[in-house]
Amino acid sequence: MQAPAVGLVANPASGKDIRRVTARASVFDNQEKTAMVRRCLIGVRAMSDVPIRYLPDASRLVEAALDELGFDAEPLDIVPTRGAVDTTRAACALRGATVVITLGGDGTNRAFAKGWLDAPLIPLSTGTNNAFPMMREATTAGAAAGVLASGDVPIEAVAGRSKVIHVEIQDQPRDIALIDAVLTKERFVGARSLEDPARFVAAMLTRADPAGVGMTSVGGFVHPLSAREDAVLKLEFEPGSSRVVHAALAPGRFERIGLAQIAAIPLGESMCLTGPGVLALDGERERVLRKGQHALLTAHRDGPWVIDVSKVLRHASGCGRRA
Amino acid sequence: MSQPSDDVLRDIHRRMVRIRVFETEAGRMAEAGKIPGALHLYVGEEAVAAGVMVHLSDDDWITSTHRGHGHLIAKGGAFDRMFAELFGRATGYCRGKGGSMHISNMDLGMLGANGIVGAGPPIAVGAAFSTKFRKTDRVAVSFFGDGASNEGSFHEAANMAALYKLPVIFVCENNGYGEYTPQANHQAIVDVADRAAGYGMPGVVVDGMDAMAVYESAEAAIDRARSGEGPTLLECKTYRFFDHVGVRGMGLSYRTDEELEEWQKRDPIHLFEARLAELGVLSRDEAAGIHEGILEEVKAGIEFAESSPLPDPNTLLDDVYA
Repeated sequence: MQAPAVGLVANPASGKDIRRVTARASVFDNQEKTAMVRRCLIGVRAMSDVPIRYLPDASRLVEAALDELGFDAEPLDIVPTRGAVDTTRAACALRGATVVITLGGDGTNRAFAKGWLDAPLIPLSTGTNNAFPMMREATTAGAAAGVLASGDVPIEAVAGRSKVIHVEIQDQPRDIALIDAVLTKERFVGARSLEDPARFVAAMLTRADPAGVGMTSVGGFVHPLSAREDAVLKLEFEPGSSRVVHAALAPGRFERIGLAQIAAIPLGESMCLTGPGVLALDGERERVLRKGQHALLTAHRDGPWVIDVSKVLRHASGCGRRA
Repeated sequence: MSQPSDDVLRDIHRRMVRIRVFETEAGRMAEAGKIPGALHLYVGEEAVAAGVMVHLSDDDWITSTHRGHGHLIAKGGAFDRMFAELFGRATGYCRGKGGSMHISNMDLGMLGANGIVGAGPPIAVGAAFSTKFRKTDRVAVSFFGDGASNEGSFHEAANMAALYKLPVIFVCENNGYGEYTPQANHQAIVDVADRAAGYGMPGVVVDGMDAMAVYESAEAAIDRARSGEGPTLLECKTYRFFDHVGVRGMGLSYRTDEELEEWQKRDPIHLFEARLAELGVLSRDEAAGIHEGILEEVKAGIEFAESSPLPDPNTLLDDVYA
């Protein structure tokens, strides 16, 4: 166990992909991310003087904020590559920190969990189709991290454990997804986003929320499933099916999507997908499956501890404490 | 987005290899002192030109940069007339008077390479205005670099394009350096696409080493432009494998060998060929054959250029517009 510390990982690449054109997604520019980092840092320091350790990302999001504030913080020993691997390396280096604040989307948090699966996270949304991170004010998120690092509140009392889809790909390294894994008939990773529902084959979802955007919306309109339920949703798609769901596939974009089968299955039960195709993980095309190559998906509740900022701050104010 | 056919995939590959082989041989000629003036070579950035240009017809306009050979080749430029232009011969695209940095051809919709950094975007906006005024569905694509995105001409062009919803696609080829200046030393941002919001248009960051990422993003932006929704800023993160000028250039230490090697691991042609081979679209042997065939075409182009006459001094003032 390391000494108490707050970790900070901000992804400069989130919120900038092709969905700004194919849908109506917001542009999340890096000035705004730096502004959020600044507010996080102020929040942490308002509550604690614990060390802050951060990923020195290629866009200097954190360093720009630190320069302005004059706060001390420790950069991780990572030379940034501008790729998702930076986030995974940061996760490895931050193992043992009391809490980590991530700024990014589902993909950022997936990359982080690949390096530290059961990390205690405060994930703040700066991505596109975000089911995992929260849209939340960075100031109080930082304050919650500071409170946790000061040791006054036990993490187990204010956090829930996430489900994770473990992806075993024949003859290839394993992978994970926090929200969904989708097999598509695409041939390339390309611009990564999932655009054409006619090419969807099958999916596993850890949560299905009709109020969400992306695959979680597709599942949510036919079989809502919360992050707390010990089950996952299995979907099989069929373009010509009479069962059609009208769902928000991307921000500002609804699509009619044909479904063949929908079933909730318990955690631990596997689903096998077979190539050719491209496997999208947490909304982004990631892994190519060759013809006949299998991917076995199995979900467990062994992922990151996601911290409820409100609960932390209620505990800190005394309202959440038991008599 | 459309699913590209095998023929389209082979077309993209061919365009990339045509650029690579042409530029490699042009570099060889330049280093041997056979080509007058400075050559800014496009090796490493091929996926951007090929992934965009495959969506365009000869009726669509492009404006280019000082690093413009790749754009004209991807738009359909012929090796013989291009080499003749580089060699300053009368058979070149500009009759030997434009050279590397001012090569143009109206038949192919190539409004010109340009030695002035940032000069292309306003020209593309003018071309796009003409297509809107004439009610055609042509689009204009302006290629420029990260350095050019600091020029006033770019900002004015972006503003006007967004204001009038002109069919322009601004393609920033961000190779991390404005000539010899690292991006961090010439602008406070890392993603040029962030600037798009300030003009009222979408901005997208694209992996410029991945031909299909460029292909898909360009398709979306071009469709948007053709349907009257206005301009888009595509920022393609890429890298030039050769120096700013020539191949080895001036030997300055503004970037490291390690950085170059990291980017070369993601050589856009190697990446694309590996996936095409996996898909059974193009075997390794077929790809090698394409490289060899194109090399022969390039050699024929060089021969044509070397055997072509220099412009007659009496034509010095012909074709001069201003």
